[in-house]
Amino acid sequence: MHREIRVSNYVLATLSALALALLSLPLTAPVRTLKAGVVYLLNPVAYYGAKGAQRLADVPPGVARLLRADLDNIQLQAQLRDALWQKSELEALRTENRRLSQALGLTPPRGYVPLWADVMERDPLHWYNSIMIGAGAQQGVSLNAPVFGDQDGTLVAVGRVTEVRRDSALVLLVTDEASSVAAYLSTSAVEGLVQGQSGPRLRMNYLPSEVALSTGDLVYTSPTSATFPGEILLGHVMAINPRDPFLTFQSVEVRPAADAATLSQVMVLRPAGAADQAVVPPPMTPKAFPKGRQAGAAAATSSAPQVKKSSGTAPSGKAIPKAVPDETEEGR
Amino acid sequence: MSHLRGAVLFVAAALLQWWWSTRMSFWGLSPQILLVLIVAMSARLGPNSGMCYGFLWGLFLDILRPELFGGNAFALMLVGYGTGALRRQMDVLDVVSQYVIVFFMTWGYFLLYGLLGVVFAKQFLWVGWPAFLFDPFYNCFIVPLSALACAWLRVR
Repeated sequence: MHREIRVSNYVLATLSALALALLSLPLTAPVRTLKAGVVYLLNPVAYYGAKGAQRLADVPPGVARLLRADLDNIQLQAQLRDALWQKSELEALRTENRRLSQALGLTPPRGYVPLWADVMERDPLHWYNSIMIGAGAQQGVSLNAPVFGDQDGTLVAVGRVTEVRRDSALVLLVTDEASSVAAYLSTSAVEGLVQGQSGPRLRMNYLPSEVALSTGDLVYTSPTSATFPGEILLGHVMAINPRDPFLTFQSVEVRPAADAATLSQVMVLRPAGAADQAVVPPPMTPKAFPKGRQAGAAAATSSAPQVKKSSGTAPSGKAIPKAVPDETEEGR
Repeated sequence: MSHLRGAVLFVAAALLQWWWSTRMSFWGLSPQILLVLIVAMSARLGPNSGMCYGFLWGLFLDILRPELFGGNAFALMLVGYGTGALRRQMDVLDVVSQYVIVFFMTWGYFLLYGLLGVVFAKQFLWVGWPAFLFDPFYNCFIVPLSALACAWLRVR
């Protein structure tokens, strides 16, 4: 116990002397050095304490901001999903609008009304032969009715109905080898017969041998066609076949204007007396019309009726009448 | 008590004292946590440890205050010495005794610091009546905290 008292007295004396020296000699170099050292050692406690306290104080607002951001994120994701759906719907409606606008520019022949139908099926084994459409006898589709499509805003011939079922119909494409359409060339106005090859090309035969032909000529259906109305685009000349000295005519290769692979809707002409339902197809869904695929649009006739197109290319020598309300339109 | 734990306690107590006096002080009142810890450690470890801790913690307080460099070190060192000296007179480990010691040591600390100001700064460094009257009670409230700290240091 005495030793502890003695030691404590020594410690007391030492520390007291040191403290009094610090108190009484504050401006001397050793004291200033000691003070600077103490500040260097102990000031970080307050410095980092302040930073830590500030971080702790920032935690509740940070958590609140995080929660708000999470809620905003959920809300924005829902809005984004809605926006994406609306965008898809908008694309579909735009396509629908374009098709309907083009349909408005067409004047169906007397006694016929246009009927739009979805392309339901395309057989890979008969890619250039036929397609199945979603309209049949119930909707007023009749045998041999002409079928049209829209290719980049232009009315083009697709084929004719060869089989009619209750709610669907089989369309024989113009590229089928069993198809043949009376047509004429836009530059020379000579007529020939466009025949399918069951491939991506058509062949136009029976062109007079003395006529000068050139590639790029547009091929339109002739008014004399038994199936299609006149002035409907069929394709353009891709190549001129070499003349056969044993034949009295020449032929050209024609690239069809209707790309059957991109058609999603087609227009069929039906007699006006058929059922009035499904004149306009059901609204297109975004999945049914992926971006880039345009629905077809146009009008057509059967073997006899004529179609007047509001706007379009005018084949040489046979100007296409502009949109004129005809008797059919007024009579309806 | 390991040196590592002692160092951790030194830094943690200094930090807590600074944080409480700057962030949780209301009406100018904040507890003298370091003083209470010095009393508790002197009661358990004797005057030498109390004086050493008191001197170093006092230096820490001195660098936070502009008046006297060395004043807090001297005053808190005497608090440690006084508590250690009281071990021979009374049972300072008793809780009630610690309340009493803390209560009066707080007044002694304030008065001693003021008198040091008279000697070395030519003015009495008065802490103010609110602190002088209520800080002893405030300090008594945190005596259990010092017991927890000593238990963590495994000091009996």
